[in-house]
Amino acid sequence: MTVIEQPGPLLKRFAARPALLGSLLAVAFAALVGLVLIASIGVSVPDAISAFVDGTVGSPYSIAASINRSLAFALVGFGFILANRANLTNVGGEGQIAVGGIAATAVALYGHVSGLPFGLSFLLPMLAAVVVGAAWGALAAVMKVKAGTNEVISTLLLSFIGVWLLYWCVQSPALLRKPMTTSATLPESLEIPDATKLPLLSGDYSFPLHIGLPLTVVIAVVVAVLLSKTVFGLRLRAVGLNPVAANRAGISYARTVVFALASAGALGGLAGALMLLGEQYTLKDGFSSGYGFDGLVAGLLARGSVTGVIAAALLFGFMRSGGINMEMVAAVPTALVVVIQGLIVITLAGATLFIEKWERP
Amino acid sequence: MSMSSDLAAPAAEPLLSLRAITKRFGSFAALSDVSLDIRPGEIHCILGENGAGKSTLCNLIFGVHRPDSGVMRYRDAAFQPSGPADSLALGIAMVHQHFSLVYDMTVVDNVLLGRERGVLKRGECAAQLEKLAVEYGLPLDPYARIEDLSVGERQRVEIVKCLIRDPSLFVLDEPTAVLLPDEIAALLEVCRRVASGGRAVVLVTHKLAEIKKIADRVTVLRGGKVVGGSSTPAADINGLVRAMIQGNVETLDTSAASIMGLEPVRHVSHARSANAPRIEVLQVSGLTVKDHQGVTRLDNFTLGVDRGEIVGVAGVEGNGQSELTAVLAGMMPATEGRIHLGEIELTARSPKEITAAGMGIVPEDRHAVGCVAAMSLAENIYLNRLEEFTRFGFLKRGLLESKAGEMMQRFDVRARGPGVIFSSLSGGNQQKAVLAREITLPNLVCLVAAQPTRGLDVGAVAAVYSQIRAACERGVAILLVSSELDELLTVADRIVVLYRGRIMGSCIADPARRAEIGAMMAGQAQ
Repeated sequence: MTVIEQPGPLLKRFAARPALLGSLLAVAFAALVGLVLIASIGVSVPDAISAFVDGTVGSPYSIAASINRSLAFALVGFGFILANRANLTNVGGEGQIAVGGIAATAVALYGHVSGLPFGLSFLLPMLAAVVVGAAWGALAAVMKVKAGTNEVISTLLLSFIGVWLLYWCVQSPALLRKPMTTSATLPESLEIPDATKLPLLSGDYSFPLHIGLPLTVVIAVVVAVLLSKTVFGLRLRAVGLNPVAANRAGISYARTVVFALASAGALGGLAGALMLLGEQYTLKDGFSSGYGFDGLVAGLLARGSVTGVIAAALLFGFMRSGGINMEMVAAVPTALVVVIQGLIVITLAGATLFIEKWERP
Repeated sequence: MSMSSDLAAPAAEPLLSLRAITKRFGSFAALSDVSLDIRPGEIHCILGENGAGKSTLCNLIFGVHRPDSGVMRYRDAAFQPSGPADSLALGIAMVHQHFSLVYDMTVVDNVLLGRERGVLKRGECAAQLEKLAVEYGLPLDPYARIEDLSVGERQRVEIVKCLIRDPSLFVLDEPTAVLLPDEIAALLEVCRRVASGGRAVVLVTHKLAEIKKIADRVTVLRGGKVVGGSSTPAADINGLVRAMIQGNVETLDTSAASIMGLEPVRHVSHARSANAPRIEVLQVSGLTVKDHQGVTRLDNFTLGVDRGEIVGVAGVEGNGQSELTAVLAGMMPATEGRIHLGEIELTARSPKEITAAGMGIVPEDRHAVGCVAAMSLAENIYLNRLEEFTRFGFLKRGLLESKAGEMMQRFDVRARGPGVIFSSLSGGNQQKAVLAREITLPNLVCLVAAQPTRGLDVGAVAAVYSQIRAACERGVAILLVSSELDELLTVADRIVVLYRGRIMGSCIADPARRAEIGAMMAGQAQ
């Protein structure tokens, strides 16, 4: 079905696209409730708003930092919708980010890659993160195919394992912890060599957008094409919609499930690599800090659409940056930002339901 | 023959009357402007194809649905049941198309279910069952568990569940679909006895043989409207059929007419010459299937199907047919036995390998196994060979849809276009699409079709069989599994009968041997 776009006043055009209008209203409503909450704990609302704006779009730095955050959400979200096409629910983004971060750190620090040409110095750590993330996802797939383990359970539990594995890595001097010179040495890795850090697009730290952005755009296109234009995308759908009939038609269930969850894991691992090589530079406890779960929510809200994931990822990226700044400047607890984010999710989901009922009475 | 069903002089006040009843589901009118009368003492048949609105009509009478407009009167009073409980309280009982029995419980407990409060009076109930057994010829062991009973006996339980309430109006929705030939005759006899006691019976069916035998009056539904009726059904049968299928009886495919019960069953021979050399294509030997509880579902099944031959597998459902087709399709492992297709061994091969070897499968469960209902018609027609429409991994959707369009033409699949969602098609068109996919396998040598006409209307039945016969004439070996004996007698060359997973016997498909085959279906060795 083709949607005929008619030129007209802004409101009319919005009315023709109730999904977009509904989403905007939902976000606005959640923001409003957030402001009421902020006022109710005694923080000046104008102060909070200005801190939020500063943290999101106040400077080139904050814009770039927000977009860099969005990349991780987007990658995990792409993985989620890809696996979801085969009716698989990957809730393991958090662990996949963690193992990706571990792999990238290990290769960047101890892989003797910093002298390599052609960008291999950062590409190899990224590749390591992708491979390990894919293996982490595939593990859940193999459990599902061989033993029927529900992937929601297995990916979630593998997340805990990944997160605690990372904790172990940065606590143990035998693993990735930096050499302990005094008892005050923090439980974290060494900073990775400059050559392994992701090159910045502007070449300047005042606008720290890195090459992860074009890479993510390419991946977005690949995922969108894979899902909608290829035979493989069709087979993913068939397995998702009716695994029995797909099997009868000669489409391998096991292979499809392993591919889908491994891809989701690979994208999670890559997200971890971007976070480490492009932003944090040292691996420490709390590295994944909920990015995997937020990315999962971005995927859920997108309901299978790549552009939807991008929109949700940007929303979450800017929210997180703004939230951090609100906490630092206006003393608004981050917990409140999380509450608002939760509200957005609920109102968006509610709005979708309402719109669907409205469109198809 | 008239467009109205209550044309005879009003001999008695109607027990139930419907006036201008309309029932919509969303924008779809399941029933529109339906009027009819049910009189005491009559057997009133509701005739119509699938989707004509028969079940909706029953559900309105039984209080499951409420009409959107129109008036229902029962015993000369306004009748607006708000649920089955209301209808039951007024003396209306219904036997549904699908059993509603608790399989772990005994007959008595099932009969008492929902009727008694406090202490269960099992003895009293058993005595009542004894009485009904004598009165209506419905013998049942009151303390047998449902799961140990045959399908026919289970239906008897459903019937006594109704009769024990002493209903004034007895509604049966397609009750004969699962029964053996003898059981059908017995059921019709029960209907006659119920009606002769001054009660009214509403019998929903699409089988003309039953109408000829038992109906006092008939109302024909098509597309939710009353399109015909008769109070002398046996004499008007051709007119009723014409109304039901909106077509000319004379142009009906012989096999379809015979399956419908319009003509006496007669064998429709195809081009297979008796002198043609026999080349065994499909060889199944010693196939045994045990389920996960260790119960043998298929027991030492051995059968060969020749090139250009149609072998029918008869039997009441649940006697191993599902397991047989699932194993042949590669969807279920066999415990023992071998399957060969020509020189190729297909034992324990994957569905993909089985398809590649040239075996087409029309599964009995179209929705669960035959299609991905939420995908498009074109995608479903080519689901097993999507790789033909790919270039560098990209799907050539234009080519896929144009090829699917050709298939729609060739197999008379009616839809708005190849891009429509499969689930929006009617059952008949869905089945034609599944058949098209399997029968056009490039190297097809054998086709296994399980219950290929279930739930299909006459036109679709004829289309399915003309395709199957055409394949057969091209030399394809065909294994046809069906619970409709008339269907097999019409189209098959040879029939084997399955009973409790074993082959009870086999014979050529000769309508004269109907009784013999019926007895084998009931487990009597010949």
